[in-house]
Amino acid sequence: MNMTEKHPSKDYLRLHNEGLLSTGMTVAVSAHLEFCGQCRDESRSMVDDLARQWCADDVPASSMGDLAAGDVDSLLSQITSQLQETEEVVERYDQSGSGYELHMHERSVKLPGVLGKIASNGVVWRQLAGGISTAPLSLDREAQCDFMYMRPGSQVPNHKHQGTEITLVLDGNFFDEMGQYSPGDFILRDGSHIHTPQSDEGCLCYTVLDSPLRFTAGWSRLLNPLQSLMFNRGMR
Amino acid sequence: MADEVELEVETADEFLLTAVGNSQDRKAFSVLFQRYAKRIFAQGMKITRNEQLSNDLVQEAMLMIWQKAPLYDLDKGTAQTWIFTLVRNRCFDMLRKLKRQPEGISADDVFAETEQAMSIDPDAQQTAEIQVAELQEHYEKLPSAQREVINAIYVQDLTHQEAAEKLNIPLGTLKSRLRLALNKLRDSIQVET
Repeated sequence: MNMTEKHPSKDYLRLHNEGLLSTGMTVAVSAHLEFCGQCRDESRSMVDDLARQWCADDVPASSMGDLAAGDVDSLLSQITSQLQETEEVVERYDQSGSGYELHMHERSVKLPGVLGKIASNGVVWRQLAGGISTAPLSLDREAQCDFMYMRPGSQVPNHKHQGTEITLVLDGNFFDEMGQYSPGDFILRDGSHIHTPQSDEGCLCYTVLDSPLRFTAGWSRLLNPLQSLMFNRGMR
Repeated sequence: MADEVELEVETADEFLLTAVGNSQDRKAFSVLFQRYAKRIFAQGMKITRNEQLSNDLVQEAMLMIWQKAPLYDLDKGTAQTWIFTLVRNRCFDMLRKLKRQPEGISADDVFAETEQAMSIDPDAQQTAEIQVAELQEHYEKLPSAQREVINAIYVQDLTHQEAAEKLNIPLGTLKSRLRLALNKLRDSIQVET
């Protein structure tokens, strides 16, 4: 297995840092960065480069319409009459030292900060056949985001994806026809992959399924009972 | 020399931001506004293609720059990066709102790691209380080799590589001088506060 296949590609990292990735995907990248120092370093210098580039780009002359000098003055005085912040209040679940723990079945897992924040809104597990549980997350209308838990010895039925699927391993490990995965691994699969994930010791993942054609996905739910089981629980 | 530096200092975003943060310098803020408002507007147009929303973005982002300026620490990175990430985060939240995405997380959660990594310095809050005048005073006391480096990086806004080439010193030497100078500045400021 190629190393880079377990990390987000440069394109994904760039889109993430530009704020242009879908929320579900960007959360996966963000959580991966908490695991992976190498990508974190790359991401930091990428942000510096993007910022430099942003400031070097020409700005169209017609920008800001016809904001008159008087408007600018009144806007400036409006802004500068506001009080400033003297202290940064960072609400993070892993700053207390304990972090946010997700409890399910026989396992408790400390989550990366961003997923901890999401899980703190409440997580409802649904038990599926074969020792698989999923918890849909209300996060992104354009992608299906779940926690997925595989019990030790379990196997996800052989399936194929419609869109792009990202799996981020949070705890434990699993393997499929293409490799073996452990915490922090970022795995991207598209429609061309058919796989059968299995876990010996149990595994918690965060999964994102990007289905740009939601209507098609809706129809295929009628056509394909397995897809309805796996991929179209949707937003509630 | 001192006068020249003072003039140049006025032009660096880092010093403007510090002036806004430490002494609510409205003139410095207005210069930052001139430099960034159009750029932020263009970013808004790129993402939303809507003039009203882009104007909202300018107002919101500039307001946040004003409000958060006291939290900026030049040791954490360039003003460009600080402003870029602030604008990027507002854009991300704006896009989520436009798409009626569920509430519950925001850009500050998603990009918290980056921001935290940029603020690992435990002295960040103290440093934020420096007065620009004090900073200049300490800057004057630095050995000239270190002053050159600070001047190249923070005043002329050169990259480390460019600064090393301009000063005709190896990159490693530049970085160690920069570190020494920043440590010295931080120490001298802490002694006083």
